[in-house]
Amino acid sequence: MKSGYSRLVIGALLALGMSMTAAAQGTITFGASVQLTGSLANTGRYYKDAYNFAIDQINAAGGVTVGGQKYQLALKLYDNQSDANLSVRQYTQLITQDKVNFLLGPYASDFTIDDSAVAEKYEIPMIEGGGASDQIFSRGYKYIFGTLASASDYFASTIDMMGKLDPAPKTVALLYADDSFDVSVADGTRKLAGAAGLDLVLDSRYSTDASDFSSILSQIKDKNPDAVLMAGHETEALNFIRQAKGLGVSPKMYAFTVGVPTADFRQALGADANYAFGMTTWIPNSSLKDDYFGDAEQFDKAWQAKFDYAPDYHAASGVATVEAFVKAIEAAGTLDPKAVRDAIAKVSFDSLYGHVAFRDNGQIDLRQTVVQVQDGKVMPIYTTDFANKPDYPMPSWSDR
Amino acid sequence: MGRRRRSRSRERGPAIELLLQVLANGVLLGGLYALMALGLALVWGVLNIVNLAHGALIMLGGYFSYYLFTATGIDPFLTLPLTMAALFVIGYGLQRYLLNLIVRAPMFNTLLITFGLDVVLTYLAQLLFSADFRTINPSYAGAHFNIGSVTIPLLRLLAFALAAALTALLAIFLTRSRTGRAIRATSQNLDAARLYGVAPRSLYALTFALGAALAGAAGGLYGMVSQITPYIGAELTAKSFVIALIGGLDNPLGVLVGGLVLGLAEALGTLYIGPTFDNVISFGMLVLVLILRPKGILGRTA
Repeated sequence: MKSGYSRLVIGALLALGMSMTAAAQGTITFGASVQLTGSLANTGRYYKDAYNFAIDQINAAGGVTVGGQKYQLALKLYDNQSDANLSVRQYTQLITQDKVNFLLGPYASDFTIDDSAVAEKYEIPMIEGGGASDQIFSRGYKYIFGTLASASDYFASTIDMMGKLDPAPKTVALLYADDSFDVSVADGTRKLAGAAGLDLVLDSRYSTDASDFSSILSQIKDKNPDAVLMAGHETEALNFIRQAKGLGVSPKMYAFTVGVPTADFRQALGADANYAFGMTTWIPNSSLKDDYFGDAEQFDKAWQAKFDYAPDYHAASGVATVEAFVKAIEAAGTLDPKAVRDAIAKVSFDSLYGHVAFRDNGQIDLRQTVVQVQDGKVMPIYTTDFANKPDYPMPSWSDR
Repeated sequence: MGRRRRSRSRERGPAIELLLQVLANGVLLGGLYALMALGLALVWGVLNIVNLAHGALIMLGGYFSYYLFTATGIDPFLTLPLTMAALFVIGYGLQRYLLNLIVRAPMFNTLLITFGLDVVLTYLAQLLFSADFRTINPSYAGAHFNIGSVTIPLLRLLAFALAAALTALLAIFLTRSRTGRAIRATSQNLDAARLYGVAPRSLYALTFALGAALAGAAGGLYGMVSQITPYIGAELTAKSFVIALIGGLDNPLGVLVGGLVLGLAEALGTLYIGPTFDNVISFGMLVLVLILRPKGILGRTA
């Protein structure tokens, strides 16, 4: 009891000290550790660019007003080299040595699970836009908030759509990588498929970074499912599709959790990217208004002009985390981490990413939009109803 | 009728057609594995250097092939000799001006320096080529044909044939040519080879260059069947290491056998145990081979 009380006092003094140093400089510093090198650098760059872009834009608009005083935003960013252990050390360093005010997240669930424990321990709020696993939000933590849709619901809109296709797929093969995000997706998908009356003829967990899918593909050919749902990483999706072509495996449809909306995916596969279903929580159109970037369409253009590649939902999600912090800090009227934490739990605003508001467990409520590559373009197909006509069923490889 | 028979046999286990298909997949994969490991085994056997940068050299070969293909549009199989030549030159330079400095140092130092080389090459590759996925996609990349019920992807068959041909060529070179014999002689008994007028310095560089050239060929093929990023090296080095040990370092044929054994083990493991265990299978095999036949499956018994 006594030690709890003294911890509280020390915590309050620390918070006071931190807010005072920040007040003296008029700067609010965010800390983050992101994959700039290593195997996840390909997606990690979205977060680096998103954080910087959002912070620059908000500063250009005059920064943040806290209790009548103007603050500029700053970012302290480390490269975790795609190493989850290093990432934890860097977040600890950000809090204990660099004394940043608040934390922005890394990319990928495996990292976020560990890093959010650091935020929880030091009671510094973290808003992350890169981890969707249910595991992050099922531990009763109070200092972690996430802007990605819940992993277990990733295939929800896809399975809804499948019920409305003609002829509707009846049998499904589920493939997933053995990391925490994809296992969460698979657990959710199994339930959704069962509820939709689909017959799961193959349920296969493969090792992350697998490069050879020929045996799994042969099993798929043997079981001949109508649809293949794959929860994995982009490199695995690319291998899967290229090897499916090599073995002449073509179900009526296949859908992937990640990869499909990215420019990289279409570039790597060329015409073979067509017919692949994917999903995104974000399509950059002008109906998504934003306080700092105008709307999502303008953001999309500004991003491409600045960084020379197209943003995807990772980028928008990363920007949303910074904006959520700004809204919460302004609402709290203080930089005290606890007060800001409580304000984050209450934020509710429209952004270029969509409506941002957090559920009790800290996760956002967002529905995936099914997309499909048609003639080299990513087309939105289905959210709660059809937006465009899907190319279905997929023709055999020899007829494409 | 046929359908019912198939579904009944499925209850007992995978149907025979599936088994045949998976065996074919394993053999074809094994050929590519063998080519990946060939250069590592050669350098290890002759120079006693476990080249931890071998996978990075494969990665470089992949990028070289990729840029040749996207720039010229010439069939990537035809430009493989160019890739091999480029990697030969890189390998020669690396051995002559870097590794030669420590060739007499304890094994641990050579491990360290090749590990460092791997890190340098990997990060240079990210700087130069970015972390984007690159694929070498010739028009026939997805072509396939059937033998009975078994589907054979053309590209993998070509890769397999090339791997077998390069293995055979290397074996002939090492046993028949004067230079090849000199290479083998230095690996068996350096002092005796010296007495017969062999100059190890240039031979070592030549051997390493050959190893690098083979890595280059493997990289070009890898880019055709999978995709290249700066980070593929580490895993390819690990696979090559396992294959070289399973097959033994004595002769190239052993490496081919090692590749095939691993390819088949992984394919069958995926079918019967589950695809999440492929690393358990490959390293489990490594442990078994080290216990039962420490010189490799085809190696002389100790």
